[in-house]
Amino acid sequence: MSAAALAADIRAGRRRAVEVVEAHLADIAARDARFNAFTEVTAARARAEAVAVDAAVAAGRDPGPLAGVPVAVKNLFDLEGVVTLAGAKIERDSPPARTDAFLVRKLREAGAVMLGALNMDEYAYGFTTENAHFGPCHNPHDLSRIAGGSSGGSAAAVAAGLVPITLGSDTNGSIRVPSSLCGIWGLKPTYGRLSRRGAFLFVGALDHLGPFARDMTDLALAYNALQGDDMDDHAQAWRGVEPVSLEGGAEDLRIGILDDHFARNGHAEAFAAVAAVARALGAARHVTLPDAAIGRAAAFLITMAEGANLHLPNLRARPDDFDPGTRDRFLAGALLPATWVQQAQRARAACRAKALALFEEFDVLIAPATPYVAPPIGQEMIEVDGQSIPVRPNLGIYTQPISCIGLPVIAAPVAGVPTPGNLPIGVQLIGAPWAEDKLFRLAAHLERIGACRAPTPRSAHA
Amino acid sequence: MPEFDPDAYARQAAAAVALPLHERHLPGVVMNLALAARMAGLVAQMPLTPADEAAPVFTAGRTPPK
Repeated sequence: MSAAALAADIRAGRRRAVEVVEAHLADIAARDARFNAFTEVTAARARAEAVAVDAAVAAGRDPGPLAGVPVAVKNLFDLEGVVTLAGAKIERDSPPARTDAFLVRKLREAGAVMLGALNMDEYAYGFTTENAHFGPCHNPHDLSRIAGGSSGGSAAAVAAGLVPITLGSDTNGSIRVPSSLCGIWGLKPTYGRLSRRGAFLFVGALDHLGPFARDMTDLALAYNALQGDDMDDHAQAWRGVEPVSLEGGAEDLRIGILDDHFARNGHAEAFAAVAAVARALGAARHVTLPDAAIGRAAAFLITMAEGANLHLPNLRARPDDFDPGTRDRFLAGALLPATWVQQAQRARAACRAKALALFEEFDVLIAPATPYVAPPIGQEMIEVDGQSIPVRPNLGIYTQPISCIGLPVIAAPVAGVPTPGNLPIGVQLIGAPWAEDKLFRLAAHLERIGACRAPTPRSAHA
Repeated sequence: MPEFDPDAYARQAAAAVALPLHERHLPGVVMNLALAARMAGLVAQMPLTPADEAAPVFTAGRTPPK
């Protein structure tokens, strides 16, 4: 059941939030072992919050637009009284969070009920959620395959129907990659739009937070609830609350299809997904995002250096407590010449200037979200354009150039495209800075005409 | 100009930042440094002038709303 439908029932008194939360807790207890999406279920908190929502309804008070809606967050968000793991064994030794992260507070103010914390790549440094400490997250569409990452638990929990809305983070693609591989909707807002306070840092220069959902109504509900001014996040560029709507159609939007970098480096299904959306929109204009490969390389270097520096004390003292999948990248990142990193930060600004010029001619740019459908858990190499390359870093080939320059993106699950194993795949709908409203209008249009929708996993309820 | 030697560089740079580097981690570190060097080569292709400022800009503090 969608968040919108649940909230409508609870607000109208047709269902009680405590019944909804009990049903969801039972469902998670029965089914999550196959996905390994949750690392912590906050049952006591959820029950208390549900009681408060029911009390508000009974007293005639407005419990908020997400009244009684069960939600969960990537385990890098602070939840009061819970240790923020950020996917790391090392963080088990940290004290519990003293308060909720800013966005968790916004969800709670909107009436949502917090069910727990979700699996991720260690310190968000990965695209697969094959976490060595907490186990791999399994894709609800094929349990032998990855859910994507680093917000893999967030995407899998929504795709499996365990909760209708989750939050994740996206530094290089960590919302858009798992959205694509799990066949759901995900939003990476403009850099600086949403407060990041109380979310474990990975790369402050590139970190974004955002929601996942199975339909556009729920994605908009979540995004509108998450907006809020936070004087304590220096990276937030506050513009006031700018609520999005699904109304208005998409006829006025000028659509460009990204070519060059975004038309190679992947498998046929990635390009078929873009072609299907272009056909549905009657969009025929192709355009090049200049220097996409340079932007990706810049993001790669900034990520290595900034991420490593955060963890330098632990890299010195206890390197073997890191996930082997992330450790050597962090160690190498601590050693990069300053010239490489500073050049990357200047190249990044130059990439942004060239990209912004495109938005004088286009409102939304369309690109693949991932180069292929979800690979099997444990797969190391994959063949792309006739070459065998490492499967994991290549998952971010299309997302990294975009987050590098902070543009807002909705990852949209594409319907009716033949794919290997009938697995889901998504596209990126990319907007100008602060133009989330146009992305929501276009995504809602695509959903309405049936070009995009979240498929129901076959294995999730088996 | 000698070629970049990630193995020798890793050992020296680790000493410079007081990062103990274990032999068992060295192959992975060297592989990642070699990959980073390729990425740095790509980034170096971007023509930049002294007027090209770095992306992150420090803010002294946000102004509270009036």
